[in-house]
Amino acid sequence: MRETRVKQSLSDDRIQDRMRPGVITRDGMLGEDRRKLRDILDADDAAVRRLGLTHARIAARMRELRDAGARGLGEPIQVLGHFEVRVDSVRGRLPCPFPHPGLCRKEFVEVRNLRSGEQVMFTELNTHLIEAHGFYEGAGSPFRQDPEALARVLELDPDIPDPGRAIPS
Amino acid sequence: MTELLIAVGVLCAINTGLAVLLMIAEATINRTGTWRITVNGTKELTVTGGRSLLAVLKEQQIFIPSACGGRGSCGLCKVAVLEGAGPLLPTELPWLTPEEQKTQVRLACQIKVRRDLSIRIPEELFSVKQYRTQVAGLSDLTHDIKRVTLTLLDPPAITFKAGQYIQLEVPPYALTDEPVYRAYSVSSDPCETGRIELEIRYVPNGICTTYVHRHLKVGDAVTINGPYGTFGLQPTDREIICIAGGSGMAPIQSILLEMARTGNPRPCRYFFGARARRDLFQTELMRQLEKSLPNFRYIPALSAPDPEDNWEGETGRITEVVDRQVQDASQAEAYLCGSPLMIDACIQVLRAKGMPDGNIFYDKFA
Repeated sequence: MRETRVKQSLSDDRIQDRMRPGVITRDGMLGEDRRKLRDILDADDAAVRRLGLTHARIAARMRELRDAGARGLGEPIQVLGHFEVRVDSVRGRLPCPFPHPGLCRKEFVEVRNLRSGEQVMFTELNTHLIEAHGFYEGAGSPFRQDPEALARVLELDPDIPDPGRAIPS
Repeated sequence: MTELLIAVGVLCAINTGLAVLLMIAEATINRTGTWRITVNGTKELTVTGGRSLLAVLKEQQIFIPSACGGRGSCGLCKVAVLEGAGPLLPTELPWLTPEEQKTQVRLACQIKVRRDLSIRIPEELFSVKQYRTQVAGLSDLTHDIKRVTLTLLDPPAITFKAGQYIQLEVPPYALTDEPVYRAYSVSSDPCETGRIELEIRYVPNGICTTYVHRHLKVGDAVTINGPYGTFGLQPTDREIICIAGGSGMAPIQSILLEMARTGNPRPCRYFFGARARRDLFQTELMRQLEKSLPNFRYIPALSAPDPEDNWEGETGRITEVVDRQVQDASQAEAYLCGSPLMIDACIQVLRAKGMPDGNIFYDKFA
């Protein structure tokens, strides 16, 4: 978690450019958000801290549900008691807009909380972006992940200890 | 009056000077001059520089696979650039393994031709061509899979192997400002050289599948290039286990059609996974193939049949069905086509049944 505000650098500008429509994905990762990348990161970081959570906790839960749902091979299956999860995958891979090696599968995970009826959908890139960069995408982006919605639908409890994964800033 | 003429003259001189400067900058910074590309140490191309290697090679009728139209977002256009490429770019890094970086593999769409280059590409890419085609037929195979029949116009015939794929060009339309390419396996028999069939599943908001399902009409012109890929039947006598789901039917269908035409006697079981009866297609064709290929068995399996399906066949996920039906796979070979998740899960099951990894084949672009 970032404790102090970091000013947007030239490197951040380049990363933000790679988030624009048509560079890595057709619709990009910023939506209608006109804020600087650093401001988006800071706002979501603060939201996650208000929830008493960490990016690692959220990403770990997303992975747990994805791994359980992947056994359905594209069909929805009930996992971990009261979650219906469908994991679909298509050909190809996507690079992360942040500069490092590695690619994410083009995988879509739909999670419906059968108790509340609420649903979220995320990709493997979303999970990576949250885990490694604390990035939930810009407001209005088709794959924007609202930290509060994730915490509510995936039933993330701040009282359960953090798995303690390292988060590169 | 004299002052006016002088002013006009000075302005003209400044404009001419700026134009000359721009031309010099274009030639020196962008290096748009004429350059030589040596391909595989034998073939020499003389090209105009300043553009991507991918675009320059395409202009020379050498087609490198690329699904994103050269934006560096698919990682398919890998070629070995032995000389003249310059340092590795940050946009290439995610796509290249350490081994590829050592062997000078680069993304052709990211390399600008600004000096002489020496490159190495697979020989089979020399047989890849661009084809002008016309849509001869469009029909629904299921609620989300269409069969697209293309008649080849120029050149009028294509030579491909069963299991190979082509790339279909989508022109600019509502979802894309520039042409994009997507790979699709050919489902028809390779002996039909004047027409090809594709089976394309609709992906919500997918650029190409939305175009095919919502915009393409019979009679439309379509540009394709190909064939690509090494997926295909191996020349052995081993038992064949095919596993597919959805539009993964296409390359397996092409292989089976060829087997039927050539009277291939190899034992073959084809497991096809679907959710409910409405997701099954080509069932009649598969039953016909069972008659013409005495050692072929088609085993469709439904993971969640609807009550009205009255389904009496295999049920469960395709991995469960393969697990039940295949006892020992150590002497067999497998051909897989479907979602990456399905392929990964099938590989696990086949390994557990004793099949060596070297006997498992699937689309490289999966």
